[in-house]
Amino acid sequence: MDFSISADDQSRLQTLRRLGRDEMRPAGWRADRAGAPLPVDDPFFVRMLAEGFGRTRWRAAGATPDGTDAPAPNKAGSAVAQVLLAEEGAYWDRGIGVALPGPGLGEPPILSMGTPEQKQRFLSPFVNPQRPIWGAFAMTEPSGGSDVANIKTRARRDGDHWVLDGAKSFSGNSGRAEWTVVFATIDPALGRAGHRAFVVERGTPGFGDFRIEKKMGLKAYESTSFFLSGCRVPAANLLGGEAYYEQRSGGFKGAMNTFNAGRPAIAGMAVGIGRAALDEAAAFMQAQGLASDLRLRDRLERSRRKLKAALLMALRAAWLADRRQPNMLEASASKALAPPAAFEATSFAMEVLGLAGGRGDHLIEKLFRDVKALDIVEGTGQIQRVVMARHLVGLPN
Amino acid sequence: MIDFALDEELALGAETAQRFSEQQLLPSQRAFEAQRALPEALRREAAQIGFDRIDWPESAGGAGLGALARVLVTERLAAGCPGAALALQPIGAVAQALRAFGGEAALQRHLQPLLARPDARAALVFDARGRWASDGDALSGHAAWLPTDRIDLLAVLSRDGLRLVTQGIVLTEVAGAGLRAAGASELRVDRAPVEAAWTDPAAAALALAHARVQLAALLVGQMHAAADYSRRYALERVAFGKPIAHHQALAFLIVDMHSAVDAARQLLHEAAWRLDAGRPAREAAATALIEAIENGVFIGANAVQILGGAGFMRDYPVEKQLRELRALGLLLGGADAARDDALPAAIAAPIDFLATTDATTQGA
Repeated sequence: MDFSISADDQSRLQTLRRLGRDEMRPAGWRADRAGAPLPVDDPFFVRMLAEGFGRTRWRAAGATPDGTDAPAPNKAGSAVAQVLLAEEGAYWDRGIGVALPGPGLGEPPILSMGTPEQKQRFLSPFVNPQRPIWGAFAMTEPSGGSDVANIKTRARRDGDHWVLDGAKSFSGNSGRAEWTVVFATIDPALGRAGHRAFVVERGTPGFGDFRIEKKMGLKAYESTSFFLSGCRVPAANLLGGEAYYEQRSGGFKGAMNTFNAGRPAIAGMAVGIGRAALDEAAAFMQAQGLASDLRLRDRLERSRRKLKAALLMALRAAWLADRRQPNMLEASASKALAPPAAFEATSFAMEVLGLAGGRGDHLIEKLFRDVKALDIVEGTGQIQRVVMARHLVGLPN
Repeated sequence: MIDFALDEELALGAETAQRFSEQQLLPSQRAFEAQRALPEALRREAAQIGFDRIDWPESAGGAGLGALARVLVTERLAAGCPGAALALQPIGAVAQALRAFGGEAALQRHLQPLLARPDARAALVFDARGRWASDGDALSGHAAWLPTDRIDLLAVLSRDGLRLVTQGIVLTEVAGAGLRAAGASELRVDRAPVEAAWTDPAAAALALAHARVQLAALLVGQMHAAADYSRRYALERVAFGKPIAHHQALAFLIVDMHSAVDAARQLLHEAAWRLDAGRPAREAAATALIEAIENGVFIGANAVQILGGAGFMRDYPVEKQLRELRALGLLLGGADAARDDALPAAIAAPIDFLATTDATTQGA
């Protein structure tokens, strides 16, 4: 057993810390104050591109390394390191982390399901982009929420096209993306076996009515709703091609794998936000001569402890994923515990500020608005408990 | 590099303890409790296996495996019966305290006489509030309850030092709220001669961290047993047409109990790892103990709750598990004394959960 961070990961964390302090937190602040995501042509995105963000980790077969294939400063090769980087990134600003250019959440399904031609078509623009560009992912529907398997968007074959009809919500960056990976069903009666994933390119007729949601927090990135109305997508854009869906139990596997690394990373983000709030609260306590107040210290201790435990649980779940060992129980446990612990941390920090927290201009107040989303995305805390109960006591569906 | 895998030696030690616990402790825990003692043959067997010496240096007859090994073994013994786990580790945290203050020489000097006596027990008392009084070479103090009926070597640990007493230790038998398998006594020491004394705040912090980690291991082992017993019961007990575990109110409670065990266990293992790695462990050990005490009471109470009326009866283990968990959390000054150490004095320094900035500030 070993809880030390490798020298390599330490140096990645230091790089992210520098970028977080100098770039990401100020940019997140700007977006929050403006009440809107930074525009596509904001110089921040160009600077981040120069820092190594915005690229894909995909490479064409036989490609020689050319210096552009280092992972972005907030991306790592292992799930464990990803938890650490997610934690550090969210410490500085979780919203801006999602707003950064690159293929985003659309990359994993293309990498895991896409044909070589599709990877080439959709990911090669992200190998060495000359300007910031985005990819996106759309699964959630207005009626679905955490019931992600209950997809209502329909896909109907028509000649050498698929026709998509439906609505998607809470899709990050899809309004500015080159393409969006859209999940639809060929027949709701088939359940997961009926699911298909399509890459829908910007400007495709019938793909529109983008609406950027007004949010309580995390204002730095676009949460977008859109409609698909008779949207004709070339058959070549069916992710994986027909063969993929004949071989396997369905496209849904692309989103819900057994070795879950997504939930531990979200747990890490929650811990990062909570840690930021506690650091701010402790600095405030120190400045106000409250550092030895036992009532505050006890609450600070409790918050630190809950965050540390959640971080260790997320790291353990990620470690299992790295070893290709089933981790559904551990991944869900970390995702269930971290966001409430982080919320408690930000709420406590607000109380430390007292009326200064009510002014609405302190970083802690922003963190308090930001953090609640983490208990909702990637499955609410309640859904995590349902998943865990299935494993622990065989809770029927 | 972060790695949750157990070395082969540690896994083997844990397996041995698990088997011993399941076969020899769990089935007899009520008998141990009633007799306030363990059969001599059982204590001999445990001594032979060397549970209490797993982290002692090899030169002192130990296995030299470290704090984490001790934690893993203690967790498993405590799952069977935490009172028995205490009795089967008769030297307990006194060994690590002696080592922290006087190295292997102190360990040899003060423990050899005890090892010659198979029934000998050592006890560590943490004087959290500075109530033990010295008068020249004499020491006086009181503990309202300790889970033992015999003390051959008393180690009184304060924030800045350690004092050893072997004579003038007066024990009076008391009923005991829990951990009766290890005994239950009131301790009085009145102007007893101090056999050895050290003043060294850094060593005191290290000894206290070791003691807290060992106590947290007892808690984690027993809370795991309580959570697992009540989970399995909830799958068998049918009410309103289905296993009670399938009513969501209980399903979610069982899930949260599972997570509470895991949270306490991860903090505990990280603290033990720090001790073995020679990293600052004061805050981590205190943090692990607070979590273990709080989660232990949460789990113990809800294990009884899941069994309902049956849980209140002595026919089932959960009422004992609740009492054991509550009693364990009173030792070493409990959670409140630990809160004094779980936060750094200078809170304004940025939080560093995994000590990435590293061990520039040694001193446990």
